[in-house]
Amino acid sequence: MRLRSRAWDALLGLAVMAGCGRPAPAARTFALTDDAGVVTDFARPAGRVVSLVPAGTELLYALGGGPLLVGRTRWCDYPAEALAVPSVGDGLSPNVEAVIARRPDLVLLYRSATNAQAASRLRGLGVAVLEIAIDRQQDFERDARLLARAIGRPGAGDSLVAAVAAKLTAATATGTGGPSVLALAWTDPPIAIGGGSFLDEIIRRAGARNLFGDQPQPSFVVSIEAVVARKPDLILAVGDEEPAFVRRPEWRAVAAVRDRRFFRVAGSMFDRPSPRIADAVLALRSALDSVRTR
Amino acid sequence: MKGALLILVAIAAVLVAMAVGAVPMPIASVLEGALHPGSAAGQIIWDLRLPRIVLAFLVGGALGVSGTALQALVRNPLAEPYLLGISGGAGLGAVAAIALGAGGLAGVPLAAFGGALASSLVVYSVASVQGARLEPRVLVLVGVIVAAFCGAITSALLTVSSEAALRNAFLWLLGGFGTASWPAVAVFSVYAALPLLALFAAARSLDLLSLGDESAHALGLATESTKRLVFVATALLTAASVAVSGMIGFVGLVAPHLLRGWLGPLHRRLLPAVFIGSGALLVTADAIARTVFRPSELPVGAITALIGVPLFAILLRRSLA
Repeated sequence: MRLRSRAWDALLGLAVMAGCGRPAPAARTFALTDDAGVVTDFARPAGRVVSLVPAGTELLYALGGGPLLVGRTRWCDYPAEALAVPSVGDGLSPNVEAVIARRPDLVLLYRSATNAQAASRLRGLGVAVLEIAIDRQQDFERDARLLARAIGRPGAGDSLVAAVAAKLTAATATGTGGPSVLALAWTDPPIAIGGGSFLDEIIRRAGARNLFGDQPQPSFVVSIEAVVARKPDLILAVGDEEPAFVRRPEWRAVAAVRDRRFFRVAGSMFDRPSPRIADAVLALRSALDSVRTR
Repeated sequence: MKGALLILVAIAAVLVAMAVGAVPMPIASVLEGALHPGSAAGQIIWDLRLPRIVLAFLVGGALGVSGTALQALVRNPLAEPYLLGISGGAGLGAVAAIALGAGGLAGVPLAAFGGALASSLVVYSVASVQGARLEPRVLVLVGVIVAAFCGAITSALLTVSSEAALRNAFLWLLGGFGTASWPAVAVFSVYAALPLLALFAAARSLDLLSLGDESAHALGLATESTKRLVFVATALLTAASVAVSGMIGFVGLVAPHLLRGWLGPLHRRLLPAVFIGSGALLVTADAIARTVFRPSELPVGAITALIGVPLFAILLRRSLA
């Protein structure tokens, strides 16, 4: 396996047209373009995968490629089988030595400037790297097909995408006029979930309106005053713990806090796009229903 | 006369800060809200803007007074809690307390105080190895080094700690008043009142101290006890500021410099003026931080650095000339 740039592709194309190209590749080789636009040649489907993206780990299992996983991050907690695979630490700025020690032939890396150096080092060591950016549901569909081809199961990718899409359509609420929901990622300083996020999509599909869905960032430090002005119907806290901020005095200006109109969802299905997106939508819908009938 | 003018400027800054925010409010509804705390406007004024403005004013004043006292202690206009690594020590202490599960409004300021005191003693003892006079360049360099050291340990703690409260601690350390509240104002006042009063009372000693050890001795001042007072008081003020609002730099530089040129070097006049001027400065910086990109908020430390760094460069060039 090795890498080639687009310019090199173009040059090769010219050479082939000129009739002096390299010998025809073996029938089984294939090339994949990842989310960073990097083209990687595969001589054969990947057989030992280190996934440095929790969403990628989950996707690998959903595609039936779980047995190929030889390394994961300490954040890869789903499915439970993944926990039996050795962890190589963090997914951002990963420890390249720990990754190499697992002798992978494919590494899934989150596409990020922080990871650019790790990607080039791994590629320099002859390991195929797919930089993926699974941030939204549409990314999930694209990367499901990409990873399925990398492990030699293109059919599994298409059927997974179709099955998830069908379930999601069935789970999505119809109609408009749902409550406005303030989704908080953090409270000190207050960080709100904006429009460019996965959670925003879940909230919309559950029939509610994200209070800061008009903001392009996935999340941002928000002023409590802006929350007061936008008058959220409900407050969604993500996480397992009781949201302690509801007892803090500076939040008393928010009517939804005073009236305890908040609800919680927990679990990794709200953190990352996955085959469980329909379950996340349904869980949020039932949480919304219970808080509305309270 | 000059004092009255300064107070007017501060009142104007507070009034403007009351009127601007994520929700633009005409002065009429600000007054309306101020008179009716229960109304919608009243809640924004009483629960959000007023505690925020009061806290920013007090923190600004405390940092300004700390900077002035440190400048007298080391006879150097570049001294400032942030630049000397004292804020960094306080931040490290606070993060360590949270990482060890000793957070809360009582534990964080105490741990921050320990860190602030330790780092100011390290800076002072390393920079004064030569004995007599503290060389400005050496002092600032040592401060930067101590701040870098504290920053490194803080990042390491943030990386290895699993404590949920630390997940976004780097944002908190950047500084801001987004979660200001009356209890935070109360906690800050408890910690800051005594050191502020002690420094105000020591105004004459600070005058003598700024002349240099030998002259101060000749004039009959117990220099060592005054030095200790400055160390402990500035560490407490910095720690209380970091505990309620994170690390905000350069506030102790700007107002003391401007006001010393305007009012002269006598601390009896300078310290109260710096308190008011630095308070107004930080209130204004915070008003900018919460309005320019609303509904997003900028870290207020970014605004103060924008003002403070150019001034620092000018002062540094002047001190080298």
